[in-house]
Amino acid sequence: MSDILFDVEHVTLRFGGVVSLNDVSLHQNRGEILAVIGPNGAGKTSLFNSLTGVYQPQEGTITFMGRDSKSHSIIGRKAHRVANYGIARTFQASRMFSALTTFENIKIGAESHKGIGVVGAMLHGPATRRDEKRSDQRTVELLKFVGLTARANTIAASLSYGDRRRLEIARGLATDPQVLLLDEPAAGTNPSEKIELANLILRVRDEMGVSILLIEHDMKLVMSLAERLYVLNFGGVIAEGSPAEIRANPVVIEAYLGSTTEEAESA
Amino acid sequence: MNDLLKRAYVRRLLITLGIVAVIALMTGPPGSNQAPTSGFTGSYAEHASFFGLFRTQRWVVFLFLGLIVWGIASFIIVYGKTVRHSITRFFTVPSAATASSRGVDDLALGKMSFAGSSRNALVSSIAHTRSLSRQRSVRYGMLGALLVFAIFLPRLESSAFWQAAMVEQIAVYVLLAIGLNVVVGYAGLLDLGYVAFYAIGAYTTAWVTGALPLPPLFGHALNPFFAIPIAIFLVMVAGILLGAPTLRLRGDYLAIVTLGFGEIVTIFANNLYGITNGSLGSQPIPHPSIHLGPIKYVWTLKPVPYYYLALGFIVLFLIIFSLLEHSRVGRAWTAIREDEVAAESVGINPLKYKVMAFAIGAASAGFAGVLTASQSNRVYPSSFTLTFSINILVLVILGGMGSIAGVVLGAVLIQTVTEFLNNGQHWGYQASDLYIYLGALLIVMMIFRPAGLIPSKRRKREIQVSEADHESSHMDEALLGDDV
Repeated sequence: MSDILFDVEHVTLRFGGVVSLNDVSLHQNRGEILAVIGPNGAGKTSLFNSLTGVYQPQEGTITFMGRDSKSHSIIGRKAHRVANYGIARTFQASRMFSALTTFENIKIGAESHKGIGVVGAMLHGPATRRDEKRSDQRTVELLKFVGLTARANTIAASLSYGDRRRLEIARGLATDPQVLLLDEPAAGTNPSEKIELANLILRVRDEMGVSILLIEHDMKLVMSLAERLYVLNFGGVIAEGSPAEIRANPVVIEAYLGSTTEEAESA
Repeated sequence: MNDLLKRAYVRRLLITLGIVAVIALMTGPPGSNQAPTSGFTGSYAEHASFFGLFRTQRWVVFLFLGLIVWGIASFIIVYGKTVRHSITRFFTVPSAATASSRGVDDLALGKMSFAGSSRNALVSSIAHTRSLSRQRSVRYGMLGALLVFAIFLPRLESSAFWQAAMVEQIAVYVLLAIGLNVVVGYAGLLDLGYVAFYAIGAYTTAWVTGALPLPPLFGHALNPFFAIPIAIFLVMVAGILLGAPTLRLRGDYLAIVTLGFGEIVTIFANNLYGITNGSLGSQPIPHPSIHLGPIKYVWTLKPVPYYYLALGFIVLFLIIFSLLEHSRVGRAWTAIREDEVAAESVGINPLKYKVMAFAIGAASAGFAGVLTASQSNRVYPSSFTLTFSINILVLVILGGMGSIAGVVLGAVLIQTVTEFLNNGQHWGYQASDLYIYLGALLIVMMIFRPAGLIPSKRRKREIQVSEADHESSHMDEALLGDDV
C-alpha cells in the first residue's frame, strides 16, 4: 500500500533557452491537501502541466502512486492517458464545453474514461443503455455534490465564475480520480463564493477520498485549506512545510512574501 | 439620412439591393466597350413569362426579386419568433405547458428525474418527460410520413429525367452529405478531399466485378452486391490510413492535407493505366442482382430499383449516424470540437475519436461509390474532382453542420433545384452558372443564418457562445492569463 501519490524527482522543463522548472523535487501523500504557491511566473502552472502530461519535461522523473505495483511514470505519456491513471484537473481560465449544458459537461467526464465501444454505440444495445443510465446517475450525484442541480440544464457558457469552477470540479470528479489538481480555483470568485469553494474542496477530500493538489494566489484560502505547502520561485522549490512553518520561514518572507507580509496576511 | 441608416430594415434593404446588383452583373451577358451595363439592361425576352416581367430589362426583374427577398426576410426577422412559437405550441399538449416553458432544449435531462430534489422539480420533470414523449411521437410520425412519401415518390414523378435524377443527383449526394456531416459536423474536421472515399468506393466496385485491367479481387468477377461490404470496408481502412498520421494536425493544416489526398486519389486513377485503365475509364460494370433461392431480381438500366436500394441504405446510415450522435461517441466528438485540451483532461483520446469519425464518415461515401459505379456502368476519373468535394461541403454547410435533418434537406433541396434548372431552359440559366448562384447563396446564408437551414442545437449555441465571448474574451485573458 502506497502512501505517496505523486513523486516528482529532479524535474527540469525548458522552452528553448527559458528554464521553466529547475530541478524540482516534491511529493504528495495520499489523502493530503497540498498547495503549491509562488509569485507569477514561478512555474506553478508549468508544474501542473507536467504532472498532467500536457508538457513533457526534459529531465527527471514523475511517478504516480510511486511505490504501488501499478505505478505509472507520467513523463512521455499523453494527457488523456494520464487522465485515465486517475488524475483529474481544472484549468486556470475555466475550460468547459461551453455550448453544452452543465449536465452534458459532467456526463462527458463520467463516461469518457471508459472504453470506446463504437459498435455498442451504433447498435444502442442493453449494455450501452446500462452504461448510459449509470453515467446519468453519477452525473446527478455529482451535480448535487457540487450544488449545481438547479443549473443542470444551463448552457455552460452562461454560468457564473463560481459555478464554472464547480462545474470543472464535478467534471474532474466524474472521472473517478485519485487526485484532483486545482489551478487557481478562486480566481475571479467573490468572497462568499470563496468560502463555499473552500468547503467544497474539503468535502471532496473528506467525503470522496480524493487527494487535492492546489495552486492558489489567495493566501487566506491556501493557509486555511492546505496541510502542507511548497513554495516555488524562479522555477525551483525554495521551501516546504506546514502553513505555520511557511509563514515563519525567513526565505519565503524574503523571496516571496517579502515586504508585503502584511498585505499577504490581510488578503 | 443618418437616422434613416440607423434603422435595421433600411440597412437590410441596402444590403439586399447591393447583393442583387452583384448577382445581376455576375449572371448577365458579358459587357463590352459599347454596352458596359448590359448586365442590367439586357432582358429575358425569349423566355418571357410571369405577367411580362421577364420581358423587361434585367434590372427590373432583379429589383423586383430583391424586394421580395427583403420583404420575406423582414417578415421572418420581425414575426419569425411568434410564428415558430405558435407552431411549437401546436405540437405540444396543454398538460405539459409548464414543462415546455422550460425550453425544448432540455432533452438531455428529460429522461431522468432528480431523486431527493424538491417535489416541485420532480413533478415538473415528470410532466416534462410526458411532453417529450409526445414530441417524440410527433417527430417519429413526421419521419414515417417522409419515408412513405419517399417510397411513393417514383410513382408520383414518372418522367425518365426525374427518376434518373433522384438516384444520380439526389440520393448519391444525400449519402455523401450525411457521411461528410459526421466528419465536418460532428467531429469538426474540415475535410476537402472527401471525394477520394467516393472514388475508392467506385473503383472497388469496378475491381470486384472485374471491370478493371487488374484481375478481380477473388479471381473471378462478382456481383456488385458483394462490392458493397468490400467497398465500405476498404474506404474505412483508407479513412484510418489517412487519418492516423494527419489528424494530429489542426484546422487549416488538416484541410490542406485532405485536399492533397483527394487530388492524389484522382491523379492515381487517371495515371495508373495498368490498374484503372486511366482516363478511358473502366470496362462496363454489371448491374447487381439477387439470386437467393426463390428470390430472383436483376437491377437493370431503370433507375427506380436503384432508387429503392439507395433509399434503404440512406435510412440505414441515417439511423446509425443519429444513434452515434446521441451516444457517448457523439458527445466525445462534441467535446473535442469545443475544447480539445479539456477533452483530454477527462481522458478522451482526441486522435482515436477523430480517426473514428473519418472512417465512419467515409463509409457512406463508399456505398455511394458502389451505387454510382453499378448504376452508371462505368467509372471515369474525371468524375472525382476537387469541385465535387467542395460541392458536398457546401451542401453540408447550407443544410446545417452537425444536423442530420438539415444536411438531408440541404442536399435534397439544392440538388432538386439544380436538376430543375438543368431540365430544359429556365430564365437563361446555364449549367456553368451553378457556382455563381451557389456562391451567392452561401454568402447570404453565412450572413443571415450561419448555422444552416436547420441548425444543430449544439452548433447554433457554439456560434452564439463564440459571438458573446468575442468581446469579453480579451478582458478575460488580460485578467487571468492562460499558460496552457
